[in-house]
Amino acid sequence: MKRVILAILVLLLAAGIGFAAGAKEAPKAAAKIDLQKATWDQIVAAAKAEGQVTFYAWYFPDYFKEAGIDFEKQYGIKANVIVGDQTANFNKAIAEKDQAVGTIDVMIVGGQWVKTTMDLNLFYGPIKSIIPEADKLAPSLWEVQEGFLTRGFLAPFHRNQTGILYDPEQVKSLPQTWQELEAWIDANPKKFGFCDPSKGGSGQSFVHSVIAHTTGGLEKYKGDTDVVQSKVANWNLAWKWFQDRKDKLTITMSNNDSIIRLNGGEITMTVAWDDNVSDQMAKGNLFKRAKMYIPKFGLAGGGDTMGVLKNAPNKAAALLWIRHITTKEQQWKKFQMVKAYPARMDIAIEGTLLTEEDRKNNAIPWFPAPYKSYMISEFVKNVLMK
Amino acid sequence: MKGSSPLLDTTPLHVREARRRRLIYGLLTAFFVITQIIWVGVPVLMAVLWSLVDPQHPWSFPQLFPEKLSWAQWAYVFKYTNIERALKTSYSVAPLAVLLSFVLSLPTAYVLGRKNIPGKKVFMLVVLLPIIMPGMVVALFLSRVFAAFHLTQSFFGLVLAHTLMGIPYMIRVLTTSFESIPQDIIDAAENLGAGTFVKIKDIFLPMVRPGLLAGMVFAFTTSIEEFNLTFVIGTPTFETIPTILYSFLGYNFIRTNASVVALIMMTPNIILLFIVERILKSDYLSASLGKV
Repeated sequence: MKRVILAILVLLLAAGIGFAAGAKEAPKAAAKIDLQKATWDQIVAAAKAEGQVTFYAWYFPDYFKEAGIDFEKQYGIKANVIVGDQTANFNKAIAEKDQAVGTIDVMIVGGQWVKTTMDLNLFYGPIKSIIPEADKLAPSLWEVQEGFLTRGFLAPFHRNQTGILYDPEQVKSLPQTWQELEAWIDANPKKFGFCDPSKGGSGQSFVHSVIAHTTGGLEKYKGDTDVVQSKVANWNLAWKWFQDRKDKLTITMSNNDSIIRLNGGEITMTVAWDDNVSDQMAKGNLFKRAKMYIPKFGLAGGGDTMGVLKNAPNKAAALLWIRHITTKEQQWKKFQMVKAYPARMDIAIEGTLLTEEDRKNNAIPWFPAPYKSYMISEFVKNVLMK
Repeated sequence: MKGSSPLLDTTPLHVREARRRRLIYGLLTAFFVITQIIWVGVPVLMAVLWSLVDPQHPWSFPQLFPEKLSWAQWAYVFKYTNIERALKTSYSVAPLAVLLSFVLSLPTAYVLGRKNIPGKKVFMLVVLLPIIMPGMVVALFLSRVFAAFHLTQSFFGLVLAHTLMGIPYMIRVLTTSFESIPQDIIDAAENLGAGTFVKIKDIFLPMVRPGLLAGMVFAFTTSIEEFNLTFVIGTPTFETIPTILYSFLGYNFIRTNASVVALIMMTPNIILLFIVERILKSDYLSASLGKV
């Protein structure tokens, strides 16, 4: 009997392994052509030969599903759109980093992950010289994303901007200057929120502005490639600003948590990304009366990019996917569906949450990347842990 | 008036005792019901309501309930996510993972439950390590092993991954079941000439059945809810329900859509729990009466 049971177990295992071997698709060989030298037509032909592209995102499943259908219709290339979680997406990409051929072709890169992924040399590139009409996409975003150097490796596909989101029924006069904001926070304890900067870019933008206004502006950091200790010596003033108002500020857990708390009435004013706000509003998670503006004291903006993985199984198709998403038609379609501001500079958009005037006059650039990393760790040490 | 003062209360002691016991039971029951409502009822009700919020009529402060309900959030999830594919994968993988984790756990649980081996307690702790360690850490390390054996992006690999996550629960529960089998019964069976197979068939398996069912529930729900390892080794070829759920629950938290996916994931699990609970009750009874 023992032998029979053993035989059955071995058979089951063998059948399973056989099924596994059968079910697995052989990884396709990466494009043979030199993508840096090939013409765009050659890249399109190579992409068609590859036959599919796998794209990882963590938001806008509606738009990306539609974009995938359009891509298949136009090029006959199957688009596998996987909408996962931001951290999980990058953990997966990093886990597969040392494999000759991975499973992800192209993925969205958010500001929080630019430094890690660029330091790990995760992406193929530079791709700026390959993508058609690359010069039409936000030029600064091709080089720097939320303070981190990207050097043409990551293609901008939408721009976003932080601003102050508020409930117009509760907030009647909008603070524009730094002094007005301080006075508003003092007069309305716990009603102003911003997210923990280690959890989201909107919080980073606010802390960035606090540093600017308490330690003598952002000009002095320009061009630095490393943290200059003498320049951050007075950042204790910024941390003191937070400590003095610890009982008056609400620190939230994520970009979206800030919006959710505003919707729930816990806070009446918060720093948020414009694209997050539009998305939450469209899905019934935020009241329609919510309004947004960029105060005169300035808040930083940025955008998200897409990168082709170095070990992508379908590199040519990945480049074609980026081209597809950054065409005028798709950029416009994306805006219509999810209200994400296009990365293309040649599309005029009206009726957004933030006015063009606000963007032009009050949006400020980030200080260099090393300062941003330093800012996050010092905030945790000097504000959250105290 | 008679009985109006405790000093004059002539009610028999046993009646008063019974009343006091009833009061305590009543209070405990009320406490249990209130706790359940707060811990289970309210979150489920909130999930149902959020899943039905009409996108054009957001549910905001100070509204107590949504202004208008609609199926739009459900339609969105079914239209724009791969939920149908995820449902098929989840409910194909889970039963196989349960079966495999049972087969693989049985010998270990038997040894741990019935034999005195050195380092037994340490081993029991080691078995639980995959549950104690952060999911993504386990996933990242295991993915290397799976990649080395070409088990990534395969159905069998996915079943194996889910099996590994279910094994700690299965071993733990089965070990306790094996431990609780009275040695007298085994001795009596041996005296009557029962061989190994008869002992397994007529004593061990029937007596560990309640434990097995409990282990199956744990392994099944673990498989249905497993995210990290599935995401790293399974996607893009395979998606399960949690891989969809995390897209709405993680960094980009969208409460309305997350509620829909959470309910899709939760409902079959709740039904399964009720079924197993009924079987477990009858099994305990029949096991105790020797009618299994």
